[in-house]
This record gives sequence, C-alpha cells and structure tokens, in this order.
Amino acid sequence: MASLTTAPIEQPTDERNPPWYQRLGTDYLPFLLLAPAVITLLALTVYPFLYSVYISFFRFRGGRPDTFIGLDNYARLLQDPHFWESIRTLLLYAALSVTLEFVLGTALALFFTGHFPLRGLWRSLMIVPMMLTPVVIGVIWRLMYDPNFGITAYALRSIGLAPIEWLSKGNWAFVAVVLVDVWNWTPFMFLLILAGLESLPVEPFEAARMDGASRFQIFKDHMLPMLAPTMLVALLVRSMDVLRIFDQIFIMTSGGPGSATEVTSLYLYKTAFKFFDMGYAAAGLFVLLILITILSRIYIRFLGTGEEG
Amino acid sequence: MDTRRFEWSNIIGTAIKYAVLLLIMVIVLFPIYWMVITSFKGRLELTTYPPTLFPKNIILDNYRDAFSDSDIPRYMLNSVIVVGVSTLISLFFGTLAGYSLARFAFTPTFKRQISFWILSTRMIPPIVTIIPIFLIYRNLQLLNTYAGMIIVYVGFTLPFTTWMMRAFVREVPVDLEEAAMVDGDTRLTALLRIVLPLTAPGLVATAIFSLILVWNEFLFALILTTTSATITLPVGISGFVSQFEVLWGQMSAVGTVAIIPILIFTLAVQRYLVRGLTLGAVK
Amino acid sequence: MDVQYEHLTKKFGAVTALDDFTLHVPDGDFLVLLGPSGCGKTTALRCLAGLEKPTSGIIRIGGKVVNRLQPRDRDVALVFQSYALYPQMTVGNNIMYPLRIRHIPKEERLRMAHDVARRLEIDALFDRRPNQLSGGQRQRVALARAIVRNPNVFLMDEPLSNLDARLRVNMRAELKHLQKTLGTTTVYVTHDQAEAMTMADRIAVMRDGRLEQVGTPDEIYFSPETVYVAGFVGSPAMNLLNVRVDSASRALVGDGFSLSATSVLEAHAVDETKHYILGVRPEHLTLSLEAHPGSIAGAVYAVEPMGNETLVYVKVGQSTLVARADAMLRAAVNTPCWLEIREDRLLLFDAETERRVPRR
Repeated sequence: MASLTTAPIEQPTDERNPPWYQRLGTDYLPFLLLAPAVITLLALTVYPFLYSVYISFFRFRGGRPDTFIGLDNYARLLQDPHFWESIRTLLLYAALSVTLEFVLGTALALFFTGHFPLRGLWRSLMIVPMMLTPVVIGVIWRLMYDPNFGITAYALRSIGLAPIEWLSKGNWAFVAVVLVDVWNWTPFMFLLILAGLESLPVEPFEAARMDGASRFQIFKDHMLPMLAPTMLVALLVRSMDVLRIFDQIFIMTSGGPGSATEVTSLYLYKTAFKFFDMGYAAAGLFVLLILITILSRIYIRFLGTGEEG
Repeated sequence: MDTRRFEWSNIIGTAIKYAVLLLIMVIVLFPIYWMVITSFKGRLELTTYPPTLFPKNIILDNYRDAFSDSDIPRYMLNSVIVVGVSTLISLFFGTLAGYSLARFAFTPTFKRQISFWILSTRMIPPIVTIIPIFLIYRNLQLLNTYAGMIIVYVGFTLPFTTWMMRAFVREVPVDLEEAAMVDGDTRLTALLRIVLPLTAPGLVATAIFSLILVWNEFLFALILTTTSATITLPVGISGFVSQFEVLWGQMSAVGTVAIIPILIFTLAVQRYLVRGLTLGAVK
Repeated sequence: MDVQYEHLTKKFGAVTALDDFTLHVPDGDFLVLLGPSGCGKTTALRCLAGLEKPTSGIIRIGGKVVNRLQPRDRDVALVFQSYALYPQMTVGNNIMYPLRIRHIPKEERLRMAHDVARRLEIDALFDRRPNQLSGGQRQRVALARAIVRNPNVFLMDEPLSNLDARLRVNMRAELKHLQKTLGTTTVYVTHDQAEAMTMADRIAVMRDGRLEQVGTPDEIYFSPETVYVAGFVGSPAMNLLNVRVDSASRALVGDGFSLSATSVLEAHAVDETKHYILGVRPEHLTLSLEAHPGSIAGAVYAVEPMGNETLVYVKVGQSTLVARADAMLRAAVNTPCWLEIREDRLLLFDAETERRVPRR
C-alpha cells in the first residue's frame, strides 16, 4: 500500500498574511509605482536644497567650501544693497509684466469671443511666442533693439524720433525686457481667459438679458464674477513662472546696464559662477526661496482647491 | 423690419475685429519673421540702412558659415540626445506615478502632501538647486556628461509629466481596468494594455510638452556643461552671442534652425496647450 | 395681456424651425406648446422672449408689435429649463436682481423678494447659494425671480423636466394653482403630454415647425383633428388601425377583423375606395374572454398589471392593440380574447391626409 507520508509535505501558507514579497504586487504597488518619481525628485530637489543650506554656512575659497562661518553670510546678505535691489528689480519686473499681460490678455479675450474664420489657425500661431526657446527670444529682440540696424530704430526714425538705445540705457533697458516678456506671454493670458470665457454657460446671461440688464451690467454683474476663477488661475500660474526669469535677460543685457535689469537670479548667478562666492550665493538663494515659498503657499491654496486629488 | 440697420453696424464691427486681429497677428509673428529673414540676408544687405522688410537676395551663406565652421551641429546632437532620453525616462516614471495617484486611494493627507510637493517643485526657480547640484556633480565627476544632464532634466520635467499623466489617467473610466482585472489581468498588465492605449494622445502631448521644456532649458546646461562635446543648443547660441557680437546673420541662422523643432511640436500639441500650461487647472 | 403670433417664420440657415406659425393666447390663459424635440416650440417661446429674431412675421403682446423690442422692454419673464440661476449670487440676490436693474430701492426690493420667497416656501433659503440647493429648490428660485417682477407674460421652457418624477407631479399642481392666483398669461413649453393635459387651459400641438391643432385639453383628447395629435396625447397611445369601408355589410374592415359600425358610417361621409385609419383609445375598448357579437377577435400578447388597472396588449391580425382592463384581470399569453369598441368613441381619419373625417 502506498504510503501517504512519502510525499514531501507542503508548508502551509498563511493566506491572510502573505509574506512581504508576495504583497509587492498588491498592497505595496501604489507606493512602488510612485517610488521612481519620488526618489528622483528627492534626490534632485530636497537633497540639493539641504546641501545648499549647509554650504551657506561656509566661506568659499577657490570654489570649494573652506571655513565655517556660521550665519555670517546671512548677516552680510541683510546688509547687501545689491541683493535687495535685485529683489526689488525682480518684483517690479514681475508686477509690471504680469499686470500688463493680464490686462491686455483679458481685453483681447473679451474682444474675440465668437467665431470667425481661421480661428484655429490663428490660435495656433498665437501660442508660438511662449513656446520659443527663451535664449532665441533674447537673440531676436537683441536684433530688433539694435540702435543701428534694428527694426525698432528704423520705426522710430521714420516717425521722427531718435532711436533709443534700448539695451544700453538704464531705464530703457528695464522697459525693453518687460516689453519682451509682455510680447512673450500675453498670448498665454489671452488663450487662458478665452478658454474660461467659452466654458461659461450661456443661460445665466440670457436670464440677465430677460431681467433687463444692460450690456455693461451683464459684464459687471455676471461675466466678471463668473470669470474670476479663471482669471485667478491665469494670474497665479503666470506669476509663479515670471519669478524664475533668467534666460532672456541674460542674453539681452546680462543684467546691465549697470544693474538696471539685474534680477535676483542673475545676481546670484554672477555671485556663484563669476566670483565663485558660492556660500554667499547659497545664502541668497535660501532667502529667495523663502520669499517664493511664502508666495507659493498662497498660490497653492487657490489652485489646489480646483485640483484636489 | 430693422434688419438693415443691424447689418450695417455688424459690418463695421466685423471689419474692426478683423483689423485688430491682423494687427495682433503681425505683432506676434513679426519678430520671428524678422529673425528668419535676417538669416537669409547677405553681409552687405545686413548693414544697409534702412533695413529691408524682405531680403533682396536670398543667401544661404549665413547657414553655411554658422554650421560648417562651428560646433553648432554637435550642440544640436547633444540637445537631441539629452532631451530625448530624459523625456523618455521622465515619461516612464511620471506615468507610473501619475497612475498611482489617479487610481489609488491613499489617505487624503498623504495625497495632498504628495500633490502639493510635486507641484511645488515646479515653482522653485532652478537657480536654487543649481549651486548644490554643481558642487555635487563636480564631486561625482558628472559635469560635462550626458548622464548628468539627463538626470537633471528628468528631475526638471518629472513634476510636470506626473501631473499631466495623472489628469489623463483620471479621464479613463476605472470600469475598463476593473473589467480587465475580472477577466484575469493584474493591475500592471491592465495599465499596460488598457489604460496606456487610451491615454495615448495625452501621453504624446505630455511628451511633446516635456520635450519643449527641456529643449529650451538654459541655466542648468550653461553651468553643468562647458565642453563642446556636451553643450546643448541654447548654450551654444548664447556663446555665439557673446563671442560674435555683430554676426547677426549667422546668429539668426542658428536661431531659426533652433526653433524649427519647437514650431513643429507646438502645432502638434496646440489642442492641449491651455491644459498643459496651467497643469490642468483650466481645460 | 394677450399674446399673438402672426405668420411667424424662423429659419436657422437651411433649417426652418418655425413655419407660418399663427396662434392667439387670450389674456390670463395658460397655454401649453406641446410637441417632440425639434418641433419649434422652444423657438416660438424664445422669439416671444426676444432672444431670437424671427425671419418674418409679427409678434404682439397686448396688441402692440414687439418685434423690435429688446427682451428687457417686453416685460416678459422666462423660466429656463436649466433654471439659469446666477451662480455667484445668493438666492435673495438672484430674486432681487430684476428689481435692482429697475432701480427699485433696497427696502422695497427686500420686501418684494421675501414676499415671493415666502409664497414659494423658499424664504428660509434666502441667503444660500444656488450650488447648495436641490433641483426643486432651484426651480422655485427661478420661478420667484420671474414672478417678483410681475410681468405681463410668463414664459416657461420645460421647467419641470429636470426634476425627479415625484417632484414633477407635485409641482404641476402648484404651478397651475400659482398661475390661476396670479392671473398672468402664461406660455409653457413641454414635450410631456401629461403635463400639458393637466396644466393647460389650452394646448397647441406642434410638429416640424407648424401648428397641428390648438384647443382645450378635452378637445385635444377627445376630438383630435389629425392622426398625429391623436397618437401624441394620451398614454398609452390611441390604437390606430388601417381600415376600409364595406358598405354592403355596413362594416369597417381591417387586417383580421370586420367591425360592424352602422352609426359611424351614417354619421360620416365615407368613401369605399379610400383607406381610412380607425382610432380608439385603450379605455374605450372592453376586453372579454368570451366571444361577443360585434367584437373583434384577437389573442393576448402581453399583460401589464399597473395596480389600479391592467393594460392588456392584444394581437389582432398583424397589429397590436392596447386595452385598459380591470385591475384584477390576468391572462396567459395567446389566450383568445375579444375586444368591444364603444362606437361613439371611435374616430375615423382619412389615411391619406391623416385628418379626421368630418361629420355629415
């Protein structure tokens, strides 16, 4: 008679608590899927940031951390007129650009509701400026602004004005770079607000007509309030981006003339990579980051309410 | 009937509309146009005054000079490699992460934190991480390498690809995956066979957006690469500018070539544009 | 005020939404424009509101031609199918909005708004926002906003269609009561014939941009002038059968049956060579499981117990008829049965023109 005990006995598996390696595909899957992205971001943002804070406590010599000087860099930073001027320049640049882009973009969106032929083509062409390589944008406008051979010089002369040395005169340089930003991003504001406008339901507006509202009243009482969320998104997204400006200004003016267009990112770039005073630059970056974080916290709360996930 | 009076004001209104439309179009496109035609002008024509709105003679000298005598072609190759590989990796990681965020119910706080965190990394000016990364790379001998740039660019685009893919995955009804799993698929195979094909247009759009993002990237490339073996195109262009102050023709030629891929890509994704740029906040 | 449509035509490009539409709505009447989607009823309403411009024709309110007037100058109020509440305003502000436009002082506005809100039992919601309200509540706010101005005409575009079934039935009675109390001329658009029947003083049945028939609910129900109207109103729909006249046997002959119809044939001017359509409502058919002389023979096709009655589907020849039967009646499929028709409720339509055959 065959014995039942000659066959090897299988180890009983605990069905309710499978070993961890069997749970990989089910319980741990969500985290596993997130892992590559999270790890990469940790390595490329959090870790460098911590390291940056670390080196901000050092004085650099020969491009290497040399002596520990505690909070000296920060003290120096607080006294540094160049740094705070760069912050001022940055904020002024941001405020001017975003405001102009917003106003122009909204005006255009309101003007262009409705259908007209070639609308699709027109939209496609409008978005080109904001997709262009910022470096190339810098090149283009340097070309245009040239006081001798540039097209702007020609245009000004032909209406009787002397050509402006856009990129070499203090105040004009600032205006010049702001104008470039406006040229670059107004289409973005325009498209965004137009999209918002077109997603509005028609009936409340018809109801307003029935109730007797004039066109101006419809605009003020209904269109603006209903458009407000979209406008907010547009403003916030653009503001977030504008604070990171670097490329075009680098190409067009390098921060000059003097420091007229030297926004913070340019100032810190020079400090770190021209003067190799990296510890000090790291301190400056930390302060900049704090400023931006405060702003973004507010932004996120607004944007996040629409995107909660 | 008052239909006639209505038509008149309609016509004038429409005419104004078209005029303004045209004007805006010109303002928007003229600078680009200007650079392109400058690239085709010969040295003589470049320095004539008044500048010509259309080149009298179309000359290819600028292109020849710019590309044959310089390292520009090499820069372009560098850009293509770095941008291409990093986009692929970013898309891969981002899709996995985006899928995870879209489908799984983490605790709400966890989800909010992760989402906030991913979003906020986009807001940090690149300048903030550039110094430490430079130092780290110097220690790890990652300066002037493709690998170094690729890693950085993956980090650059990852928040964006994750966010976009999460939105696109959310648009695919869960029922399809559940049906597949009932039929025998695992989560992963369902993702591969069901979800991915359905998000294909979104995937492509995200890829193209990322491509554009890093093709244009300047600061990191500027600092982390200095040899012509690894410099990307934007850096090469800026070098051109500082070195060759008045070679407008050649600069324009390089600029024109640099933006061709952008123009193509932009036309390809313009349908998703508003959504992409606002991270999905506005459709 | 009364409303008059005179030969109104409205085209949207190649599509004719309204074709020579003429209709008079007496002052104080509750008139329902009834028809399927695309029949032009909403277009007619919107032309009256001033939201669409007619291609040709005249619209009068209170005798005055209003074609050139903007909606705001016509003194009409429109209740939208989707309610169209202003999302950014509270309920109170929504209701007061038309008053604010007319520069009515704030005290007065509040008083009027609260009055109307109380009447519609939504006063408690005065400070809420539309997105916090249920469908029924939103609909009342839309109504309140229309009523508060005390306009000359109420226009309503399927206001009940977005409500759940039970609420809809309740609101029907309330709306009707409200209109009678206010006495305002009302033009009401719907595709639901039950709504039309229960609420209207008169119904205007529309089809493909044209007016099929206008009359009181009784007239529409018992004396439809066309096959279309006969089939549209009443649920389950009227039974329609193709028949011919056999004067020899004084019968109407159809597929699978021969119905003795002496008095009908005497009352109408009929022709043996023509085809006719016989119409009889389910409630005018008596079902019996035993043969009766003069009944139509058939077989049970399906039985639907409704609780208060039973609907029986009977196959006669190739056609299927519906009859209302006693609530307790049950029968197996294919059981032979007989249908007796009330001759005075039998309607005869010319098969070609689809119009009712006139009495002699």
